[in-house]
Amino acid sequence: MHVVPLTRNFCIIAHVDHGKTTLSDRLLEYTNTVSMRTMTAQHLDSMDLEKERGITIKSHPVTMTYPAKDGKVYKLNLMDTPGHVDFSYEVSRSLAACEGAVLLIDAAQGVEAQTVANAHLAFGQKLKIIPVINKIDLPSANLELCLRQLEDILTIPSEEAILASGKSGIGIEDILEAVVARVPPPRWADHPQTRALVFDSLYDSYRGVIAYARVFSGAIRAGDMMMLMSTGQRAEVKEVGVFTPKMLKVDELGAGDVGYVVSSIKDPADIKTGDTITLANKPATEMLPGYKEVRPMVFCGLYPVDTSDYEKLKAALGRLRLNDAAFVYSSESSVALGFGFRCGFLGLLHMEIIQERIRREHDVEIISTYPSVIYRMVKHGGDVVEVDNPVNMPDPGTIIEIQEPTIKAAIHIPNASMGDMLALIMEKRGIVEHTDTLDATRVMMTCQLPLNEILVDFNDRMKSITHGYGSMDYELGEYRTADLVKMEILINGDPIDAFASIVHREKAEQKGRELCEKLAEIIPPQMFKVAIQAAIGGKVIARDNVKEMRKDVTSKCYGGDISRKRKLLDKQKEGKKKMKQFGRVSIPSDAFIKVLKTN
Amino acid sequence: MSHFVTEQAKAEPASPLGLYVHVPFCASTCDFCAFYQAKPTAGAVERFLDGVGQEQALVTWPRPVTTIFWGGGTPGLLSPTDLRVLGGRMRETWGGQKPLEWSVELAPASVTEARLAALKEIGVTRVSLGVQSFQPALLDGLGRQHTREQVYRAWDAIRAASFASVNLDLMFALPGQTAEEWADDVRTAVGLGPDHLSTYCLTFEEDTALWVKLSQGRVKLDPENEARLYETTWAQLGAAGYAQYEISNFARPGHACRHNLNTWRMHEWVGLGPSAASQHGGWRGANVADLDRWLAHLSRGERLTEDRVRLTPALLAEDALIFGLRMNSGVDLAAWRERCPGAPWPVVDALLDQLAEDGLALREDTAVRLTDRGRLLADSVGAEVMEAFATEAMSA
Repeated sequence: MHVVPLTRNFCIIAHVDHGKTTLSDRLLEYTNTVSMRTMTAQHLDSMDLEKERGITIKSHPVTMTYPAKDGKVYKLNLMDTPGHVDFSYEVSRSLAACEGAVLLIDAAQGVEAQTVANAHLAFGQKLKIIPVINKIDLPSANLELCLRQLEDILTIPSEEAILASGKSGIGIEDILEAVVARVPPPRWADHPQTRALVFDSLYDSYRGVIAYARVFSGAIRAGDMMMLMSTGQRAEVKEVGVFTPKMLKVDELGAGDVGYVVSSIKDPADIKTGDTITLANKPATEMLPGYKEVRPMVFCGLYPVDTSDYEKLKAALGRLRLNDAAFVYSSESSVALGFGFRCGFLGLLHMEIIQERIRREHDVEIISTYPSVIYRMVKHGGDVVEVDNPVNMPDPGTIIEIQEPTIKAAIHIPNASMGDMLALIMEKRGIVEHTDTLDATRVMMTCQLPLNEILVDFNDRMKSITHGYGSMDYELGEYRTADLVKMEILINGDPIDAFASIVHREKAEQKGRELCEKLAEIIPPQMFKVAIQAAIGGKVIARDNVKEMRKDVTSKCYGGDISRKRKLLDKQKEGKKKMKQFGRVSIPSDAFIKVLKTN
Repeated sequence: MSHFVTEQAKAEPASPLGLYVHVPFCASTCDFCAFYQAKPTAGAVERFLDGVGQEQALVTWPRPVTTIFWGGGTPGLLSPTDLRVLGGRMRETWGGQKPLEWSVELAPASVTEARLAALKEIGVTRVSLGVQSFQPALLDGLGRQHTREQVYRAWDAIRAASFASVNLDLMFALPGQTAEEWADDVRTAVGLGPDHLSTYCLTFEEDTALWVKLSQGRVKLDPENEARLYETTWAQLGAAGYAQYEISNFARPGHACRHNLNTWRMHEWVGLGPSAASQHGGWRGANVADLDRWLAHLSRGERLTEDRVRLTPALLAEDALIFGLRMNSGVDLAAWRERCPGAPWPVVDALLDQLAEDGLALREDTAVRLTDRGRLLADSVGAEVMEAFATEAMSA
């Protein structure tokens, strides 16, 4: 039997901004995994956007070598996990690849919603939790409160806590020692067949799909014929290796190892996060637990602003999809926008990130339609139609009822914000199921909310109500019947299909008014009268006017100015190209993102 | 409408030829000015005058010059002797027949009886006085150097010299200027009884001191206010007997500036001097905006080295619309249709119809002109015209 006592697999979990990346960097530095010279802040977050937003989107596992105080040299595999509710399934798979978790708590912020959610996820995976109070050198640190919350909210003995500061390097050795001493050796190593968990993947244009895997039992070597258990698909293993954090080829990945597997598989859709790799000649009969199909929850149409960019956009989406199995797209067309794509995302952040990457990394100017969730339309005769695009909503006369997806949310807020928070939840058509006291100053509200109500501004408003102290975590709940209608937006009397949305009947008028008002504000002044209307079933419920341009003329214009003037007009024309023409009205391509953000 | 412009147009030769001379010298730089200028040292002036002679010799003159315009800079910085030298050069270009109009721009501080006498002597018919404002504090804010008294003295001297036509330049929407102050300036100017008035909305051009102030947030743009000032100015001058014939130009009957009308109608003109633009002989282009480099080019027999484009009927038709729509009389489409049958007239017609429907343009017979509201949006209209011509070119 293969026993691997000197390996420890662990991850770091935390609420956003509690210092996970900085602490990871310190661990790498302490174990000389990355030399000081090549060390740049936030080493593990390599994508530009990740650095900018301080969030992790892709996994960045790394293998460290640590000579412990017990005289033995340990192999420590650190899993860096995504840190946003949009990616909770990915988080759960990364956790499943570990035996232990370092739970970071910001000494100044205390336990927050994602601290609790992540801790519960880790408990669920039966991981040993090592609590670490981070940023203890902050003047606003409140150790006493953090330790009490640890016991009261998370039921973790406070004496287990390690005090640390990623920034100044306090407690780093204590953490490493705790990982060695407290995290159990790799589990399920004695399973008779080879089993490895896929927790992420990367697409490489030369090598195809590179699976990130944690081997639980057996071993994988180059030349092996492997099999993916969810589909039975077989492929030849071309190479295996570990992360240092750069990829380093090794002869085999054995039980307990974390590394990568390059195979003959070229299509990223064939290797799914959560799947189990086994060997084809002696396959396991039972998958590792926890696999599920990821389903996007939020949809919107993405269209090139310049219709000639269609192929470029298509290629961009294809390339993004290669590294992001949770992102889906299919072609669609719109009367107003021409040819484009219906895209599905895990959540609003995911949607924003993808759009930003299309603009930045692929240099395609895009326009996005109003986001939508998947509604279920129950028709006469019992047929159920799923609609993720308001344009495809069947004739209301044929529908018995419409059901909408809901979420179950855990919202952590200061006591003082309870009244306002309750009002916000009510406004968003939510139901508070129960309220629990976390400590003397904080409560947790467990509630059910329609998913489409939290898409736009819920998080921002919660942050504003709680002065930044509130936090939220959620999981998808059940579908609920609701009185929903399709609201159209008309520009100068013409309905713009791309702007249609499905809204609750009672909120239609207010939403319509807000939308018209914001559009009127965002659309730059035009040379002629432009009316923006919101309508339900042909009945106008709100209207506003775009500002009329009053003056756009160069005062002086003589012989020498003709060429100069033409250049100026050219610039004006170019500016207009960044906008989408709806009939004669130019609308900035980011209008809808702006509408969503101006709350 | 400005019927007199049409009257005046009848007196125009079929193929006018303008001559523009850019005199690049300034005593100091105004905060709003983006024109090329140089320090008026004795050597520089001499080299400039020689250069004009050289450049003149390089031009293939298609026919006699019908209008002359000396701008700058401040041509008035030249001494009476130099003015006579430059005037002598001009004489060679008009082929015996005197030009219909000869304009010279003067700054109030540079107006002297001796200079005016020199100008009269060489045949100048029109003087344009750069007053800009009658408010000393506002003038100071523009970095402009003259007093109200200087303006009046200059004015009296010019009138005494009895030129056929005199213009005053004024500027509005100046930082800190109230609507009342501006109306006062217009009243004061009208009170002097010029034949022509140019009123310019302050424009923030790159590479000017004002632009820097704007980008530093020390001054702010207010298009709504500017629009109001345009409208009140148009009304005020119309009531005083000055008919508007272009965005910024107003004249008593028969006093519209022929040279500029010629330019806006996309006729031909020759530009001499550093930074001067030309349009003739199938080319449009400009001289380099640097005295020494201009001279260096001339010594190699080169001119119009900047922004050189081949003139095509389509480009001229397009520009005749872009620039012609700035004029109250608008554009006679029939003539351009005939001259350039290949231009995308259906697209242009559709655009003009749309503008008419939006109340921005008026179509009368074969002509099109902008309404007052449309004229305030002449740049947007110009961009649309450009687009109309461009779309067709792409699909063709």
